[in-house]
Amino acid sequence: MTGVSLSRWTMSYFAAALLSLLAAESLMAIGFGFPGVPTEAPATLVLVHLVALGWLSLLLCGALFQFVPVLVAQPLHDNDLPLPTLLCFAGGLVLLLCGFLHLDGTVPWDLPLLPAGGTLLALGFALVLYNLGRTLWVGRPLPLPARFVVAGLASVAVAATLGLTFTYVLGNVTSASPLIEVTAAGLPLHVVAGIGGWLTFTAMGVSYRLLAMFMLAPEEKRRSSLVALWGGIVVLLLAIVGGCVAIFLGRDPAPVLAIAALLAVPVLALYGFDVVHLYQRRKRRRLETNSLMAAPALASLGLAAALIVVLLALGALPRFAGAVVYLVGFGWLSGLGLAQLYKIVAFVTWLECYGPVLGKTQTPRVQDLVVEKRAKKWFYLYFGAVWLSTIALIADQPLAFRGLAVLLLVATLGLGVEFVRTRRLVDVAKATRLPAGARQPRLLHAFSPQH
Amino acid sequence: MTDFLELDVRPVLKAGGEPFAAIMEAIGKLAPGQGLRLLATFKPTPLFAVLGSKGYAHEEKEIGGGDWQVLFRPTGAAPTGASPLPAAAPADAAAWPAPIREMDNRDLDPPEPMVKILAATEAMQSGEVLAALLGREPIFLFPELAKRGHAWRGGFEPDGSTYRVLVRVGAGQGAPK
Repeated sequence: MTGVSLSRWTMSYFAAALLSLLAAESLMAIGFGFPGVPTEAPATLVLVHLVALGWLSLLLCGALFQFVPVLVAQPLHDNDLPLPTLLCFAGGLVLLLCGFLHLDGTVPWDLPLLPAGGTLLALGFALVLYNLGRTLWVGRPLPLPARFVVAGLASVAVAATLGLTFTYVLGNVTSASPLIEVTAAGLPLHVVAGIGGWLTFTAMGVSYRLLAMFMLAPEEKRRSSLVALWGGIVVLLLAIVGGCVAIFLGRDPAPVLAIAALLAVPVLALYGFDVVHLYQRRKRRRLETNSLMAAPALASLGLAAALIVVLLALGALPRFAGAVVYLVGFGWLSGLGLAQLYKIVAFVTWLECYGPVLGKTQTPRVQDLVVEKRAKKWFYLYFGAVWLSTIALIADQPLAFRGLAVLLLVATLGLGVEFVRTRRLVDVAKATRLPAGARQPRLLHAFSPQH
Repeated sequence: MTDFLELDVRPVLKAGGEPFAAIMEAIGKLAPGQGLRLLATFKPTPLFAVLGSKGYAHEEKEIGGGDWQVLFRPTGAAPTGASPLPAAAPADAAAWPAPIREMDNRDLDPPEPMVKILAATEAMQSGEVLAALLGREPIFLFPELAKRGHAWRGGFEPDGSTYRVLVRVGAGQGAPK
């Protein structure tokens, strides 16, 4: 019962993540990568990994370093390790992106860029698994949201292992034939484990607790949540293990993946049902921006699930997979991420700055650190642009997509400015900003005693 | 194979009592190498740190009906002399006076419950105890209490959703963790 202190490097993760998102949106605005070029083009690989690794994975890791301890009421195993971990991620990502660009000759250097990048990234994920794994281990028996996180971490291990294999094969480090087969046919499994297992499943688990916490909804043990957890694990196992078996038998993994995609729909529906229940049972009647803006993100997930069903029925899923992945990545994962970032940055900044003087002197409230009206405007612009972009992708209008990417970039920049203002306490009235004993938080890291 | 002394505190808990003193007494009675098998109506998380500092590892399992069995096994490690946790000072375990203030913070928006508790402790005298009901375990509160040298105890009520925390003002070692 030692309680939970602030995660020291979470803000650095958030900053690196936001920079990656801004970079990706800038590339989309200038027409780099999909949809201007095919999905498997090196430029698209750069874009996808900038979003999935640079933005979403770093965001999720930063958030987990703070919230896994909250989920299991245990201190983080090692509060210093996240910094070297972040350096592995940053270095690995840059090398990986250069390696992709080397594939089509944009980057001329004849260096083992892909294997080096893959190795560093795998090391980064291994350190995350070690740190969070040790923390979770002490916290057994695990509450439901933490079980989702465990499944997510297992998925990232699979996604990273597959990714590492691809970089070794493409970088000519190995020519073992099973590894070459995996590289030739394993891309869908890498995507399912990464986006489905790691990013989506982990976000679902964390959202159970975050939504309940911030909306003051009771955390009931619901059968539907339990079925969502185990059903989701079955779907992931079917897709990943079944897909691997298909590849090693020399068959096309597509039918197994289609069945898994169909089975994922009721799992997502149960999750949606639980979340609607949380919103209905909340005691906090007036929704704060973070909970309000989680709603369009959740709607995007529902929309993506509906699209998958319709496209499977029409046999057109492969053709429009890009639009579905975009909606999942930007509407659901990024939307939810930005909405929760808005609250998390304010909350941890408030706790770091005013925690030591609470009760001793007049202190601002958490909501005094933000200006909700201004942020809401950026969120509306963001979700509007994402939904219109999805339509532009389905309608095959790359030029409209680029224009909308500019709006997306503007909205993200707007939110980024809000986060920095919150961290720097710019919107807090001067008279109460820094009472005696309070310390101005640093932009990129938190002061916290060991643990 | 560790030999275990069994202590069933479920009757005490069901009668609304506080079994901490009985548990510490049982620990004091253990022979070298002997462990304690504790039966309780909830997972006694606060005890883990307390007995951990006295050199006991714990292994808990739910045994049905919401009850828990915890095995405390001597690790052979020397007890940490000055306990890092103010709440863990067993010598004062039985000496807590009745709370002079009770608060129900269950319906407050986070982080208001924490703000209210810290504000209340500032107005209290050393040694006085505050009791508060909360909607969840106040994990961000504990480091603040430790920094201020307050001691605390807490746990979920049998309903499983209300967390009751007792804070004794300025009574701890004052050693921030």
